Amino acid sequence: MNAASQDAENIYFEEHVRPILKAHCLECHGEGKETEGELDLRLRRFILKGGDSGPGIVVGKPEESPLYERTLEQDMPPGDTKLTEAELATIRKWIESGARTLRPEPETIGKGVFLTEGEKKFWSFQPIRKPEVPQVKHADRVRTPIDAFLLRKLEEKNLTFSPDADRRTLIRRATFDLLGLPPSPKEVEQFVNDKDPKAYEKLIDRLLASPHYGERWGRHWLDVVGYADSEGYTIQDPVRKHSYRYRDYVIKSFNKDKPFDQFIREQLAGDEMVKPPYRNLIPDQIEKLVATGYLRMVPDGTASSGVDAGLARNQVMADALQVVGSSLLGLTLNCAQCHNHRYDPIPQTDYYHLRAIFEPAYDWKHWKTPAQRLISLYTDEDIKKAAAIEAEAKKVEIKRREKAKELIEDALVDQLEQHVPKEFHQALREAYYTPAAKRTKEQTALLKKYPVIMKLSEGSLYLYDREINTKKRALNTEYEKKKKQYLAQAREAELKKIPAEDRAAAKAALARAPVKRNEAQKKILARYPGVEVTLENLAQHNSKAAGELKQLKAKLDKLVPRAPQLAKISEEIKAIRAKKPKQEFVRALFETPGVVPDTFFFSRGNHTSPEQKLEPAVLTITSLQEKCEIPINDEQIPTTGRRLAYARYLTSGKHPLVARVLVNRFWMHHFGKGIVGTPGDFGFLGDRPSHPELLDWLASYFMENGWSLKKLHRTIMTSTAYRQKLKAIPATGDIDPDNRLLSGMSLRRLEAEVLRDSILKISGNLNTKQFGEAVPVMEDKVGQIVIGKENLNAGRPGAVIDMKGEQYRRSIYVQVRRSKPLAMLDMFDAPRMSPNCEARPSSTVAPQSLLLMNNEFVTRQSLLFAKRVKKEAGDDLKAQIRFAWEEAFSRLPTERELADAIQFLQDQADILSKQPEAQAKMKKEKELTPQLLALASFCQALISSNQFLYVD
Amino acid sequence: MNNNQHDTNYISSRRHFLSTGAFSLAGVASACLLRDEGLLAAEKKEKKQVRPELEQKTYDLKPKEPLFEPRAKAMISMWMQGGPSHLDLFDPKPTLTKLNGKNYEGDIKYDNAAEASPKLFASPWKFKKHGECGTELSELLPYLGEVVDQITVIRSMHTGVNNHGQSIRALQNGRILGGRPTVGSWLTYALGSETQDLPAYMALIDPGQLPVMGVENWSNGFLPSLYQGTVVRAQEPRILNLDPPPFLKGNPQLRALSYLKRLNQQHYEQRRGYHDLEARIASYELAEHMQLAAKEAMNLQEESLATQKMYGMDKPETKEYGSRCLIARRLIERGVRFVQIFTPNQKWDHHGNIRAALPAACKIVDQPGAALVADLAQRGLLDTTVVQWGGEMGRLPVIEKDKGPAAQGRDHNTYGFSWWVAGGGFKAGHVHGATDEVGHKAVENVVNHYDYHLTLLHLFGLDANRLVFEQGGREQSLIDNQGGRVVKELLA
Repeated sequence: MNAASQDAENIYFEEHVRPILKAHCLECHGEGKETEGELDLRLRRFILKGGDSGPGIVVGKPEESPLYERTLEQDMPPGDTKLTEAELATIRKWIESGARTLRPEPETIGKGVFLTEGEKKFWSFQPIRKPEVPQVKHADRVRTPIDAFLLRKLEEKNLTFSPDADRRTLIRRATFDLLGLPPSPKEVEQFVNDKDPKAYEKLIDRLLASPHYGERWGRHWLDVVGYADSEGYTIQDPVRKHSYRYRDYVIKSFNKDKPFDQFIREQLAGDEMVKPPYRNLIPDQIEKLVATGYLRMVPDGTASSGVDAGLARNQVMADALQVVGSSLLGLTLNCAQCHNHRYDPIPQTDYYHLRAIFEPAYDWKHWKTPAQRLISLYTDEDIKKAAAIEAEAKKVEIKRREKAKELIEDALVDQLEQHVPKEFHQALREAYYTPAAKRTKEQTALLKKYPVIMKLSEGSLYLYDREINTKKRALNTEYEKKKKQYLAQAREAELKKIPAEDRAAAKAALARAPVKRNEAQKKILARYPGVEVTLENLAQHNSKAAGELKQLKAKLDKLVPRAPQLAKISEEIKAIRAKKPKQEFVRALFETPGVVPDTFFFSRGNHTSPEQKLEPAVLTITSLQEKCEIPINDEQIPTTGRRLAYARYLTSGKHPLVARVLVNRFWMHHFGKGIVGTPGDFGFLGDRPSHPELLDWLASYFMENGWSLKKLHRTIMTSTAYRQKLKAIPATGDIDPDNRLLSGMSLRRLEAEVLRDSILKISGNLNTKQFGEAVPVMEDKVGQIVIGKENLNAGRPGAVIDMKGEQYRRSIYVQVRRSKPLAMLDMFDAPRMSPNCEARPSSTVAPQSLLLMNNEFVTRQSLLFAKRVKKEAGDDLKAQIRFAWEEAFSRLPTERELADAIQFLQDQADILSKQPEAQAKMKKEKELTPQLLALASFCQALISSNQFLYVD
Repeated sequence: MNNNQHDTNYISSRRHFLSTGAFSLAGVASACLLRDEGLLAAEKKEKKQVRPELEQKTYDLKPKEPLFEPRAKAMISMWMQGGPSHLDLFDPKPTLTKLNGKNYEGDIKYDNAAEASPKLFASPWKFKKHGECGTELSELLPYLGEVVDQITVIRSMHTGVNNHGQSIRALQNGRILGGRPTVGSWLTYALGSETQDLPAYMALIDPGQLPVMGVENWSNGFLPSLYQGTVVRAQEPRILNLDPPPFLKGNPQLRALSYLKRLNQQHYEQRRGYHDLEARIASYELAEHMQLAAKEAMNLQEESLATQKMYGMDKPETKEYGSRCLIARRLIERGVRFVQIFTPNQKWDHHGNIRAALPAACKIVDQPGAALVADLAQRGLLDTTVVQWGGEMGRLPVIEKDKGPAAQGRDHNTYGFSWWVAGGGFKAGHVHGATDEVGHKAVENVVNHYDYHLTLLHLFGLDANRLVFEQGGREQSLIDNQGGRVVKELLA
């Protein structure tokens, strides 16, 4: 494609010049609505003919050709983007060398975008045909047809596969690949010692049958769908409480190897497979509705305040189309939203035809907010129950209102008494109860003089309670003090009445609480019942004191804070409402039966500039061979049937892109790189397949085998290519520097979730509970995002709420709050969904190292890992090292490694025993010893090491 | 050939540095690793190949040019959470003194209805002219009086939202809403940092409770997390993730890192040519380097006794706050862009008991704050460093808790209150704006939070309206279309 280096003889209009014109010029000169200056640049002969200012080129003479001159002078194109030097050179050379075309130009073309032969013949738009499996020299290395395709290319470069990796490497690679976790040492040993010639195949089958498989591969799908537990778009970023059902649907679908074509159809049009209204649903219907969550994952700010509603709605649709484009079509559809696609044969009209397929469900003119797109799973029975309970709650609400009135009156009387001279009471009371708008000037002035009266309201009652509470505390102190004093006085008087020798014993008995008195003490008090003066019988001894206490108590009882009385009734109401059957919701996309909204072409993508009405249709370029009619309104079903028809078309097996795009992505997750390096772009600017035939073979094989992903995994993973050793990089002359030919396995860093989950697994803490509501995230005391339930007090983190093991769930269950990415995951490149992620980068930055060195999660898990090692391996250093080594690296240490590790453990224990902070820590936590802390430090080194972070 | 290829991989894997990072240290490292000009040049070349629509935006903390010639390069904010009483510190009101005890006739908004009273409350403290400029200050601020010729007192601050949380947000992030970037985030987003060894934006929190609104006070909001303020805690580990847990501090961690290095080198022996592995080995060394730089910056033993004394580190009441002011100066000296020093939670929220509590609060901050101004000036740093002193509100001119002198206090007032600023292009020895005759509402040359932000960013050579970040399809700014103006009268 690099035309600058092209020889002049080989420059042709279609291949070299037209792409430049398409990128920069055709929008205004041929493909757009207006043709500027009547100059049409779509064909060579139109260029020769020229426009208002004469011919566009003079063959052989670039300097006299306006097409060259005006772009060279940067008159054209208008705007900031100008032609590059290379592009200018291409145009110049093309004109110089005779302005040739590759083939005769079409006799007639219509208006607007026309598809050139070159575009129609572009590789990714060709039908998928299963190619012949090639013959290769080293047929002995061929285990599956995949190997033959790869080997043929390798042999062309005089290369071959690397030898098979050893079994330890294989089980580690396969387990990380399929489950996202390291194998346990037991599993490793079993596999290494398995004499069965099918041992490896058995291993793959076992892994594919694991319930954790869906958690690993579902995550890949969630990336490209852009799964999130919050709406994004605005800074409020509201939580999506119900999107987890879609996440669970994806995990379960992968686990049961749901045929991928069905999986796609459900996600695109599950709602059209269920008859509305969506009431009293059975599980299968619920599943189909949940599946449409696929179209509800993009940021949605349409319920947020302060947004341009029209813009926000159209952004939801644009993002959704982008997700469809990158996940299923491998096309950058969004590039055709505002103008014809500058590189790919996607006219802007095609974009809006495609949008029309989705329009009835989104319906931006009659928009539904996220809350309105929830389908309640309440049955008719539930509704009845809930209504009855609500009626009950309403009754208590009336009670609450009456109580509030009463309390305000009470407070008013009290405040008047305290702060206002008697003569104003009546006037103030009247002023207070007169609605603000109806108050006379005098009333307003009076109230202003007494803000404590003016500001009294149900909402401010709690402020007035402070005074009551202060008084109550003071009064209570006085009461308790007097009580103690009077009781003591009366007792002393009574004690004086008993024989002197028993006084001390009786006094001691009295000092004890009745339940704590021993037998002797009980006996002595029984002998002299008179000495046991209590509040109840105080009146018999000192009636004046008893009277005073009684009065105080009465005063105290009158001091009741008011706000809690209302709060109590509110609690009551809440408790009643809590009895309602729990209402569950599905976040779904669905149409309103009978409503068929129009779709318009938006000039420049601007929704405020609608032009012609467009009907639903699929992309022209992908339907040249296989036509597809999208109904405007399918009479057979209550909904329009547009998405259903589209889903069927995409999964018919005839679509040129869908299966290629899918298998390429699966391949990428096994080998680190796709056959097409740009998994979301199979267009002109995307990568070309390194092995086009292999890609087509995989796509065909996938579809022939019922779109079964697990079958495809088996085929890929049992290949020689997958079983190779890590590619050895030669010191010089690497013929395959980025390993696209796969002369060995590629090195891969653990993805964020895999790293976190693996640390938890080897520390013995992984909570393998599956499914359900997202595990919440929050900001900790310095603003780092950690797992936890938010517990703010005036914006500050309050007490940490116990997560009861939920904090150790697998990462896929951790809430994806767009504005609050979990620090641990974010640091290791977990994607920010805006709207989705086509392929993850793998970064290497110092903060990752700092996190592994110092982060609380890592140091804590290291200590827990160490405790587990000690528990399982005992106190012998060698045994400890071996145990930890196998857990972390799936192999035993070499003698040298063992010696190093022993040395480290001994040194570190010695160092720690002398470090003051470590000494203090051990003093506080008795179970800690220098040896255990050293072991924790060792465990931390293992999980921070490259051997743990990277998979061979 | 293969070398080139590897280099390319190396760069593209490194390029992601720029957009990654869950805590603000991320950026420190990213700029560090890209300091190599060669890498950056290569990166630029590479970018040209990328189609504009799909190009991932990248962010870093490399120093960046402002829009126009700046006056200020760095900033230290002393954040007085709770709302110091301007009437008792900065804004003398003879009329209020005259009307003491009379009912206030104007409109007034109380926060605490149950303790409200309309009775005017003259300041119990005397005011006196200071310096050549003759600015009047309360007797509670004797040290500030000594540097008064360096500062400008703004007596007409205004946010108009009468509770702590919302007014904190208005002043810290420009709006009464949460989820937005704070001033320090905007500054580091726009200008990067002059140092790549330390976080660009640091929050020196009080050893006690966090201020109201907690971590929102240094939030990056919708900006990439690399622009979040990094918290420096009063106890070890001072900076989470940067400092090890105490028991690993020093030798234990060094020993562990040397063991880790050995593990990684042995691993690399069998995987020669995999540059990612080499880069990760190097990244541990870089991490160590950053730890040392932070440790050095916070080591106050390097300061002379005279300096320590100047900040009040020899006195129990000023020791802690003075240390943090001194650390702030050391950070700025080392190229940190923005430092904010927090007082204890609600330290200035004097609803009652103001006669005892306000002098106590002043005792803590007066000497260190004044020392900071003097110290920056004597080191020639004040010209380019903005010093800001103030909280989210002032107090009302009427009594709250009218139950005798000991109980009395003042309720919230965000309609007119005082701040002082110094350095970085602000006028010196100046008083700006005025409140009404009893000090309730700002009436002259009112400085709204957005006016202040426009002025502040102007000093940094930035236009706060044009400094934008696209979020959710909209261009967001600190000002967020609230209007306002650069207050030229504040500029030197």
